[in-house]
Amino acid sequence: MIEAEPRTGGPALISLDRLAKHYGAVTALDHVTAEVDGRIIGLLGPNGAGKSTLLKALLGLIPYTGRARVLGLDAQTQGAEIRDRVGYMPEQEAFLAGMSAVELCTYAGELSGLPRNEAMQRAHAALYYAGLEEKRYQPIAGYSTGMKQRVKLAQALVHDPEILFLDEPTNGLDPRSRDEMLELITELPARRNCAIVLSTHLLPDVERVCDHAVIMHRGALRFAGTIDELRGTRGTDSELHVEVKADAARLAEALVQGGARCEVTSPLALRVDLPVHATSQLVFLAARAAGVQVRGIGVRRESVEAAFLRVLAGPAGPSGGPR
Amino acid sequence: MSAGQIHDLGYKRYVGSRRSVATRWTVILRQELASSWKTWWRFKVWLVAAAMSTAVAAGVLYFASGKMIRLFSGLRGETIQIADGIIPLSTQWYCKIGFVVSLTLGASVVAGDVESGAFTFYFARSLRPRDYVVGKLAGLAIAMSLVMLVGPLALAGVRLGLSDDNDQLIALLPVLPKALAIGVLGTLIYAAVPLGFSALVASRRYALALWAVYYIVIGSMAQGLGLVISPAIGAIDLAESLGAIAHALFGVQLMGKHAVEPPVAAAMISIAVQVTAAIGVAFWRVRRAQQAGVGGAS
Repeated sequence: MIEAEPRTGGPALISLDRLAKHYGAVTALDHVTAEVDGRIIGLLGPNGAGKSTLLKALLGLIPYTGRARVLGLDAQTQGAEIRDRVGYMPEQEAFLAGMSAVELCTYAGELSGLPRNEAMQRAHAALYYAGLEEKRYQPIAGYSTGMKQRVKLAQALVHDPEILFLDEPTNGLDPRSRDEMLELITELPARRNCAIVLSTHLLPDVERVCDHAVIMHRGALRFAGTIDELRGTRGTDSELHVEVKADAARLAEALVQGGARCEVTSPLALRVDLPVHATSQLVFLAARAAGVQVRGIGVRRESVEAAFLRVLAGPAGPSGGPR
Repeated sequence: MSAGQIHDLGYKRYVGSRRSVATRWTVILRQELASSWKTWWRFKVWLVAAAMSTAVAAGVLYFASGKMIRLFSGLRGETIQIADGIIPLSTQWYCKIGFVVSLTLGASVVAGDVESGAFTFYFARSLRPRDYVVGKLAGLAIAMSLVMLVGPLALAGVRLGLSDDNDQLIALLPVLPKALAIGVLGTLIYAAVPLGFSALVASRRYALALWAVYYIVIGSMAQGLGLVISPAIGAIDLAESLGAIAHALFGVQLMGKHAVEPPVAAAMISIAVQVTAAIGVAFWRVRRAQQAGVGGAS
């Protein structure tokens, strides 16, 4: 895996200041204020949370009140510039009848302002990256769901965007295709020098690829921050998951004598809640005393799914960031 | 692609200039022409039909140009030569081919894009609704002009080529701008009005059916009512209106039962209203689709 270089300097990827949008009596966005940055940002929320409205506002497609900036550009007045610098992979099919993948991607590049030759070269490169090198001349109508998802990714990439908005990119994919799609997404920031905003309902996908999250509920921002903040990392990292070579129960006894609370989850693993002011050093000392070999030790955190449900169930108003 | 393997041809940030937003409609125009040209039945066959019609009319011009024609008369009722009547007469053939081409190309453009979700594809980019409408309309108009404009112009050229002498040639020169005017009007009708119908409904099939019913059934009814109530009503029929303008421009009038034609002013107004309304509907529909098309409904 190639490591992405973090964005340094410059404006925040997305900056929202009291962003509001109403459809008649329905409030789609309720004075959202946030500074969003990161490499791969998960945009989460149940149906009707306002994710799609937020995307439309960020692309400069709908009027709104308040302020929304993408890459430092005002979405209300500089929507066209933003859309040249942003790639969008829609959830639903968005193809043109009778076109092959390479024709569609070339067309997409040209519509985004690239010269024809450049658009064609980048179309081939994007399709190659998306894994469609052998099928790129075939009509899209005959593609499988997985291949269509790849074409959608390629057409979003072709014009060299600085941010990619991906809307449910793994929807309808079998496990293997999902794995491949997530791998492509994970690699994108480093390979294409772009940030990603991933709108999805699949929280395991977020857990796997995202480093930041934005959670929305009923048009309001409920959380903006890093995944670690969302999962509730504590400053002392007092909740540990320990794997041992053998006899986890013996280590648990030694740890309990040291004041920790333990739960043996298998003969080779246990959960440990350290006492106040203790560090992971206590585990190693107890292991030495019990004659047990420690094979792995990690901080035990809430899953993204659990954290998401906790944030939704919690009081209104943003938590975590804003970052 | 095997799992876990990413093929990458390498990447370089694009630093060149981008085509200005104001000219991106030309990309849509080119794409519209390319897709028209892709299959035989959408356009090429009908272009061949138009070329054959032109060839037949040119042949008639060549071999029978001096003969008199009974279907037409001059505006004062005098009998005229075939050569003077063949260009306005040919308008009705081109209208028939133009209608077929409007079914295969124009009448499903917007509905087809709504159906396939293409508006999301378009409007996630720096395109404005007017870029889409202008690009599609211009593409359709260029394709349609190969049927509706090139044929009459070619016949006008043949007519000039058959002049007996320079004096006659100079006297006949106005045939060219007249053929041009008829061709442009015909192009506009068969490109814009079906485009408007394609924007009325979200289903490609219904859009085609709606345009066909409007053109054939409503057009025929208007013609019939024109005969019994007022000739101006006949101007609703687009082919009838174009024919009336062509006959007036070339200074001929139909004889017998065909003599009842809509007045030129009514024909002009009818064409202007229908073309304007069609473009307006297309723009309105596309504008709505732009705002709703990206990201679905929230």
